[in-house]
Amino acid sequence: MHDNVIDRSKDVTILELLDRVLNKGVILTGDIVISVADVDLVYVGVKLMLSSVETMEQLRSGKSVAEE
Amino acid sequence: MSEDKILFNTGSLDELSEEIGKLTSNEESRLKLTPDNADSGLAKLVLTLVELIRKLVEKQAMRRVDGGLLTDEEIERLGETLMKLEMKMEELKRHFNLTDRDLNINLGPLGDLM
Amino acid sequence: MDMMIYSILSVKNNHEKLNTLLIAMKGISGADLYAVSLDEISAVVCDIKRADLIADKTNAIEYAGVIENLAQQFTLLPMRYGSIMGSTDLINKMLGRNYHEFQQNLQKVENKCEFGLKIFCDSEKLKAELRAKSEADTKTPDKPAPKIKNSVYRDWVNKKLKEHRLEELLLTYVDSVIAEITGYLARLNAVNKFKKMATETTIIDAVFLLDKERKDALIHVIEELQNQYPGLNFVLTGPWPPYNFVEIIIK
Repeated sequence: MHDNVIDRSKDVTILELLDRVLNKGVILTGDIVISVADVDLVYVGVKLMLSSVETMEQLRSGKSVAEE
Repeated sequence: MSEDKILFNTGSLDELSEEIGKLTSNEESRLKLTPDNADSGLAKLVLTLVELIRKLVEKQAMRRVDGGLLTDEEIERLGETLMKLEMKMEELKRHFNLTDRDLNINLGPLGDLM
Repeated sequence: MDMMIYSILSVKNNHEKLNTLLIAMKGISGADLYAVSLDEISAVVCDIKRADLIADKTNAIEYAGVIENLAQQFTLLPMRYGSIMGSTDLINKMLGRNYHEFQQNLQKVENKCEFGLKIFCDSEKLKAELRAKSEADTKTPDKPAPKIKNSVYRDWVNKKLKEHRLEELLLTYVDSVIAEITGYLARLNAVNKFKKMATETTIIDAVFLLDKERKDALIHVIEELQNQYPGLNFVLTGPWPPYNFVEIIIK
């Protein structure tokens, strides 16, 4: 029973760790080997596009554009 | 690295590790395109994006309805369009044999829009 | 032969100390670690064959372990697993192009650690509670009675509207919890980042950056918050290297 708790703790620690080391930290935009990172690059591009549309709407309606 | 990083916790750890597992689960939430699954893989990607936009649009519409400034007629038309969009989406999902779960791909920064 | 970068360190004049440390450590699969330095910063790297890099959990955990060890002795910025460049020359150039941003980020995290807080609860249950509370508080009129006959579309809208309002109630509640946490953390001089509703049960996923010495004070704050919100489940982890607090787009 006690072992189970210790294993679970370790599981949680490992999951938290993997989430950080695989998804966070500094990203080199050049040569990323893992495919997940490639997908991320595409999303950053799309997000930038969405922001621009929003900015366009604000400009058109005459509201001031907040600094990024 | 074997030390325990949990500083505070009061709940059941089983539930916890399951929960965090879902958050960081690599297998289901990644989209892996291979020569074999290229067309269904692509359908999954397209439908995920479409579903995201549809949900965003629906959410915006509900905010407007809740705002109280739309006429009955406008609400009626919104309802008709959105309902049909939802039905169309269900049809597409059935056609490609995809569940809501399948469309739950990790969208990175886009996911935060929801 | 490619190189994997583990992290960017603030070395200043302590290159000797770093080299001594690296000799005593090993990287993934027993690889030797060495430093590629430029003025006050160094990239800690090891040689690697691309084939070895298949996203293997064991390797990723080992990689994180190296970062953890380095963080005990140096202020650093962790790199994401899989950060590879072709040569020391390329790494040197990259350090040069981004030197200023690296320094800025390193300064931001000096003497600080990251801590993670996740708050869990059954959101269906929470929504039901919130709805009951709001119905008791106010007499919110249902959407104005339509002058026209109720259509199937109108019914659909009403159904969606109800769901939407519950969602909003839940989000307002989550915002209030976040405000509460922010209030407590202001005393600890923490930098906070919050994500709401990461899943149906993870209502808050937060990371904090604060002085190492404030760890116990932080635990105490979470204990108080748990008492304040008995229906929610708080889980605090750390200390971690500042994975979530590197704000840099590499040129």
